[in-house]
Amino acid sequence: MARLGMLIDLSACVGCAACAVACKMENQVPAGASRLWIREREVGLFPNLAVEFRPEQCNHCENPPCVPVCPTGASYQTKDGLVEVDVAKCIACGACAAACPYDARFTNKKGGYADKCNFCAHRLAKDQQPACVETCPAYARVFGDLDDPNSEIAKVLKAAERSDVLRPDQGTRPKVIYLNAPSKKGLTQEVSDS
Amino acid sequence: MTEFYGVPNTGEFWHWTNALHFVLVGLAGGMALLAAILTLRQHPERNRYVWLAAVLIVLDLFVLWAESPARWRFSHIWLFLSFQPGAPIWWGAWGLAAALVATAALLLKQWFVPLRRIPEVVPGLVLLLGSLVALAYPGFALAVNTTRPLWNEMMLFIFPITALLMVLAIALLLGSTWAKRWEVLVAALSLALLVAYPLTLQGAAREHFNQEGLIGYGVAGLLIAVAALFFRNPRWAAALGLAGAVGVRWLLVMVGQFQSPGL
Repeated sequence: MARLGMLIDLSACVGCAACAVACKMENQVPAGASRLWIREREVGLFPNLAVEFRPEQCNHCENPPCVPVCPTGASYQTKDGLVEVDVAKCIACGACAAACPYDARFTNKKGGYADKCNFCAHRLAKDQQPACVETCPAYARVFGDLDDPNSEIAKVLKAAERSDVLRPDQGTRPKVIYLNAPSKKGLTQEVSDS
Repeated sequence: MTEFYGVPNTGEFWHWTNALHFVLVGLAGGMALLAAILTLRQHPERNRYVWLAAVLIVLDLFVLWAESPARWRFSHIWLFLSFQPGAPIWWGAWGLAAALVATAALLLKQWFVPLRRIPEVVPGLVLLLGSLVALAYPGFALAVNTTRPLWNEMMLFIFPITALLMVLAIALLLGSTWAKRWEVLVAALSLALLVAYPLTLQGAAREHFNQEGLIGYGVAGLLIAVAALFFRNPRWAAALGLAGAVGVRWLLVMVGQFQSPGL
């Protein structure tokens, strides 16, 4: 059993949004909704200012709040730790969207189901990387098994000076991990302070 | 300053149809509770309330079905018989279903002889249990979302109490005098909860509430206050209490979708 996750090196991300475009194309995401988007913000105080480009998506939490609230069992965790949606069971009630602290979910009106990033599960099944990872021109993204000490993701994470997750206060234990954030206090705290 | 490439899904995930459901499920659950109590007490008015409960449950389920983008999978919540006790909507669906079956058993017995063999207390108790679940579920469905600070634990009390206020107001408007003293009590309780609720909000949540909902909340609270305190004309008071309770439920569903800051 793997523990699939993703690293995003914020010091490498240039905010080109190629990942967002690749995701949109690969997964045929409808207009007006996103599985992945980039947040651009200024962090720090003059003269120590920086611009942070932060891609955001489903965090595939180890303790996902969207799963227990699903009344049909359509939202579930795979044995590899992916948080998935069984489209055939989903009744699009919106309970999972309400529970997600990251606004990662939306209702796909055309198909009538809750939609979100699934790390391109259809590509993983063919031993391919998620579209966003493959597209990133800055190699800011690393995907793989966090539990495998020989995997690239585990090595990069171990070597990183600093790693953060979004909203650690929620206790969701995200598996999308941000490296080398330019903000001093962590991804969440700095925004809360401002 | 924060900007985005791509659209974060920060818009409303529940729309006016969902707010309407949160009103209708309160009416359905509350009416089912009245019907169950009257049935168990063999009250002469019980049949009228069982009918009302059945109609409101069907109407609520119809609204949910009509607004759902997954209309042909709507029944899956019952079809899969999945056991999801962590999901308030699962409880709500089964509570409403149980209440609907009980009302059907009570109403159809005049035409179907086999149903007459079932003592009235049996569907009465099923209706009571189903109604309690249906009354409690909306508050839980909101309060489980800990990342939405406006939907705090107060929802567990505000939603069942305002549901009772709505159905007792309807009972008064229908001329059921036994509802009068309960209406006053429940209106006073609702008012106390509405006064306490803003005090439980902090920081950005309070700021958002003040900006987006304070006026509507104040008006709805005022209507309930009139219903609770100025009870010389019971029908007017009932109508105002009903309008206030509907407004509070609607507003909390819509305004409460605010995500706590931190991203």
